[in-house]
Amino acid sequence: MATNGPSYYELYRRSSIGMALTDTLDDLISERRIEPQLAMKILANFDRSITEVLNEKVKARLTFKGHLDTYRFCDEVWTFLIKDVTFKMENSSQTVQADKVKIVSCNSKRPGDPQ
Amino acid sequence: MSNNQVGVIYQQIIADVVESSRVDFEEGGVDERVLEELRQGWQQKLSQLNVATFPWDPKPEPPAPVISNPPTLPSNTGNYQPMNMNTPPTGAQPQQPAQPMPQMNNGPRIKAEPGLENGGLNNMPQAPFQPPPQAVAGMTAEERAAANLAAAYGQRAAASIEQIQRSGPPAGQNSRPTPQQAQAYQQQMQQQQQMQQNARAQQSQQGQPQMSPEEYRARQAAYTREQAQRVQGLNGAQTDGAGDDIEDSIAVIKRLNSKGEEESMGRIEIDNLIRTRIEAMGQSMEGGGLMLPLKQATKAGKNRQRKVKSSSASGVGQHDGGDDDEDDDEKVKDEDLDEDAINSDLDDPDDGLNDDEDDDESMGHIMLCMYDKVQRVKNKWKCVMKDGVLTVNNKEYVFHKASGEYEW
Repeated sequence: MATNGPSYYELYRRSSIGMALTDTLDDLISERRIEPQLAMKILANFDRSITEVLNEKVKARLTFKGHLDTYRFCDEVWTFLIKDVTFKMENSSQTVQADKVKIVSCNSKRPGDPQ
Repeated sequence: MSNNQVGVIYQQIIADVVESSRVDFEEGGVDERVLEELRQGWQQKLSQLNVATFPWDPKPEPPAPVISNPPTLPSNTGNYQPMNMNTPPTGAQPQQPAQPMPQMNNGPRIKAEPGLENGGLNNMPQAPFQPPPQAVAGMTAEERAAANLAAAYGQRAAASIEQIQRSGPPAGQNSRPTPQQAQAYQQQMQQQQQMQQNARAQQSQQGQPQMSPEEYRARQAAYTREQAQRVQGLNGAQTDGAGDDIEDSIAVIKRLNSKGEEESMGRIEIDNLIRTRIEAMGQSMEGGGLMLPLKQATKAGKNRQRKVKSSSASGVGQHDGGDDDEDDDEKVKDEDLDEDAINSDLDDPDDGLNDDEDDDESMGHIMLCMYDKVQRVKNKWKCVMKDGVLTVNNKEYVFHKASGEYEW
């Protein structure tokens, strides 16, 4: 599954798990326990790992509907701001509502990314 | 439900990252314990976000079944503690940890004092050097700074400290001088501080690259006089070791005199020497004339950009920071206005999309994913997303595929 891809999106660093990692790395750096370069390597590992795990292990599907407030397509990145959005999880009747959600989405067809 | 999956998925990611980073840690010569600490901190921070239930949450310490290196786990418990307690990073462990606590409770400014106390304790060779508790509680910021300085230059304040030591109770650690003694102690510290301030002022005088020749010469003369005085009378009064290069130039005077050369000639030469030195210093500070103008230019550019944006809401920001040379006279003002700008792109307010959004990720609703398809017919949009992480209503979801329909 494209394990030898040269680069991965840094997109997921903004997720909660990514932020938690960055915070922890920041702490370690400010305590001078690790070098910033090492932190960069770890973050790169994270980019690869989360991309692969999401691709290989996650099977859940969901659908969502809403009103598109803003859209932007720049550098192959779609950004949507959707208002009054409803997410419907598959295999469960559960729905989640939010008055707005931001979607940041990179192109899945990129060399180096798992397809 | 995909929220249940999150914990397992995240645990896999963490384990995977830790495993693949092990090599990097080895290459960087960093102890493996730090890696374990990283894992612990990471998991702890994730749990704090409370976006899902994690496998390591229910139990006090994460047994982490998926993690493939159980041998290192026992050490986790030990390493875990410091991160929990939020103690100051390194080396700030006072020898008598109980000591600062009551003072902290007495003082109204609890925040400021622990660090100061710890730092003081660290720097001070002996416990009695510590400022008396009453004084600490009532100290102004200036006095505290003075106390800290005295702590840093403890050897030089030895006389007064000895005095305090002698007259205080013999119990060493808890010696509490009388208020008068404390005052004397503080006075001495303030004196020291003043001396250092003077020295610093002189230094900064010298450092100024631009001055008129007359000004420069006048200052130089005053300088030389001061310097001579210092060498004669106040030897050792200066505590920060500044003005070394001046010492050199004095030596030049002396040497020239001893050679029997004319006094005026020597002075001119020295003036020239100092001048070139100052110019070189100015240049090095300025980065050869490059750094200062560039800094000014970018700052001015950014600020102007920001102004344009705020004045006209629909204005599309100029991103190249152009036409910098137009308003040189505004630059100084702009710089003063925006001291906390760090010249980063993050300084610029994002337009449109991010306006009504809070940056706090844990509260913000955000979906990070990849798109397979984005289609639009008139105002109807259809998207197929994959491999995403969705944070909504403070809960996290992961999905393999998501299809969305929305109209604009």
